[in-house]
Amino acid sequence: MSRLRVAIVGCGKIADQHVWAIKRTGLGDVVGACDAELLMAEQLAERSLAAHIAADLGQLIADARPDVVHITTPPQSHFALAMQCLEAGCHVYVEKPFTLNTEEALRLVRTAQAKELKVTAGHNLQYTWESMEARKLVQDGFLGGPPVYVESYYTYNLGDAGYAKALLGDKSHWVRRLPGKLLHNIISHGIARIAEYMDTDAPIVSAYGYASPLLSRIGESDVTDELRVQIADGRNMTASFVFSSQLAPPMNGCRVYGPKNSLIIDNVHHTIVRSAPKGYKSYLNYFIPPVATAREYVRNARRNVGRFLRADFHDDSGLKNLTEAFYRSVLGEAPLPISYREILLTSRLMDEIFRQLSPNATHTPRSVLERTSA
Amino acid sequence: MSTAAVERNWIATRDEPVLVTGAGGFIGTRVVHTLLEYGFRHIRCFVRPSSNLTRLREVLTVDGGRAAVEIVEGNLLKKEDCARAAAGITVMFHLAAGVDKSYAGCFMNSVLATRNLLDAAVAANTLRRFVNTSSFAVYSNYQMTRGALLDESTPVETEPNRRHDPYGYGKLKQDKLVEQYHQRYGVRYVILRPGSVYGPGKPALTGRIGIDTFGVFLHMGGSNRIPLTYVDNCAEAVVLAGLVEGVDGQIFNVVDDNPPTSRRFLRMYKRRTGGFWSIPIPYRLAYLLSAVWEDYSERSQGQLPPVFNRRRCSAEWKGNRYSNEKLKRLLGWTPRVPFDQASRLYLDSLQGRS
Repeated sequence: MSRLRVAIVGCGKIADQHVWAIKRTGLGDVVGACDAELLMAEQLAERSLAAHIAADLGQLIADARPDVVHITTPPQSHFALAMQCLEAGCHVYVEKPFTLNTEEALRLVRTAQAKELKVTAGHNLQYTWESMEARKLVQDGFLGGPPVYVESYYTYNLGDAGYAKALLGDKSHWVRRLPGKLLHNIISHGIARIAEYMDTDAPIVSAYGYASPLLSRIGESDVTDELRVQIADGRNMTASFVFSSQLAPPMNGCRVYGPKNSLIIDNVHHTIVRSAPKGYKSYLNYFIPPVATAREYVRNARRNVGRFLRADFHDDSGLKNLTEAFYRSVLGEAPLPISYREILLTSRLMDEIFRQLSPNATHTPRSVLERTSA
Repeated sequence: MSTAAVERNWIATRDEPVLVTGAGGFIGTRVVHTLLEYGFRHIRCFVRPSSNLTRLREVLTVDGGRAAVEIVEGNLLKKEDCARAAAGITVMFHLAAGVDKSYAGCFMNSVLATRNLLDAAVAANTLRRFVNTSSFAVYSNYQMTRGALLDESTPVETEPNRRHDPYGYGKLKQDKLVEQYHQRYGVRYVILRPGSVYGPGKPALTGRIGIDTFGVFLHMGGSNRIPLTYVDNCAEAVVLAGLVEGVDGQIFNVVDDNPPTSRRFLRMYKRRTGGFWSIPIPYRLAYLLSAVWEDYSERSQGQLPPVFNRRRCSAEWKGNRYSNEKLKRLLGWTPRVPFDQASRLYLDSLQGRS
């Protein structure tokens, strides 16, 4: 089997993780690095042993002739760069958030389809070991039917005020120019989990967001870092999403509820708990199920230790697994790891959330008191 | 040292504008302090918008507020901010440091920031000297014997990837860039490589003494001499490197006289901070464990990142002798705060910390 030639555009911090993930797949070689700052491309190429560097993507594609391009630039450039890669005949892995909006996402997907190329979004948390096990369980019918409710949560600790200030201190930082600002760069992992299990093109969304006391204290009240969202598919599935910079301990995962059983997926500790109540009589109902849950955690601990001993438990295993799955798709050995339906639904949900959070939104939640007095 | 004695040999007068980048930082604040003490009247302090300027503002009162000190907020990754910083400057003291866990982050904050600043200096065409603050982290003692002399002629690290030290990598590339700008554009420079800078405002012990990565303090330094330099001594070396004529293109290591052993310094530190458990790790054991870790990291394709490895172990805990002879000879520097006083000031600042 021939190995894929891979190039990376955008040689910042996340690019290093991509290089390691690509190497670990054993399916591709990094042959080129591109960055508007040529020095950045040089440093990555030097450390990844990539043979080609360029400040211009067209030049890199011409020189390195990559099969796949990973786009790890700030989100504002994702669409244009991905489109350029597709036009040049390259498959594309786009870091999250996929694009700035659904219109861009749709155009990329259609172009890829028209050119018989593959494109994926960097929703790597869907390819951690526990997320993959959850997917298989759902496909095998563990829930006892289609998911009825998904609860997704994602926390991001801004730390003390000093850290938040450093992060947000630059008034011209690219994060501030995103339609959803800080949220736009962070929440796609949590939203993508819902999109995976929800099948609709027209979700009903209700979003409420505000600035945490920490951000308000440092004068950043226009940046939302607390978000609560309710989502419905209009049929029988609903979901909720919580993003917080305050909750502790850190939470990152989801619960997927079906008509019979449910799953608790924890991306912080890489565990998945299968909840399948047996309905014990009387007090046994208080004694046996906790033991069953404890057994689930023991199973997870054993599995994690086993993977570690087999040297298959890297911190960014999701990135490696997603990259590998994408490459297998490119090589024609497997379907797309993340369907275009999921990518587009994630984008639609984010568009709607940011629309509702914008100061010009027509619908804004009001307090009960306000509504009564009106 | 008497400033009057050396003033005749300075390349800039006290009325000419000088720039301090990272002026709100640990060393930068003290560099501004020293410049004010030396009587400089036009100091431009470049700080990040998010910097805490409490210490800098305290320092600015040192001459009764007579000097024209300009605080410029900006980001060295932005060329327009660098142009503002460099306009009309005769000497640049470049102390802004890129501290980041990633190679790309360190490279960006070290090399790109320095490149932007040098471009601005070349365009402004008023610069007489660029003082580049580097670090001991660029040296490699991997091939040296224990106790050998580490000075300015010691080779720099040739395999920074294997050392797994993003900070050192950034500094290596930054030094190289400065030399390139000298060759291409004639930028005159001096490179300063401080050892472990300590003093009030930086409570943590240097990793050369030990680490607490695993929840208990592992004392790795044993009887090694630690290349300490007190922050005020280091700041004066930085200032002199920018002012004294005839030293363009030179590299200076900055380390105080008679640095203490790791064991002695740790004992003093413990006594003052209320004590804590530490486990002494002999160098040979540290090297063996580092080698095992490094090999496992390679075999497992980075499941454990190679944060412990032979080269780092060697650089931090092998133990060397250090010299400040060149600094004294060419710059006329002497440590203005002797170790007994410096350590007292440092340890006093820790009072109440555990």
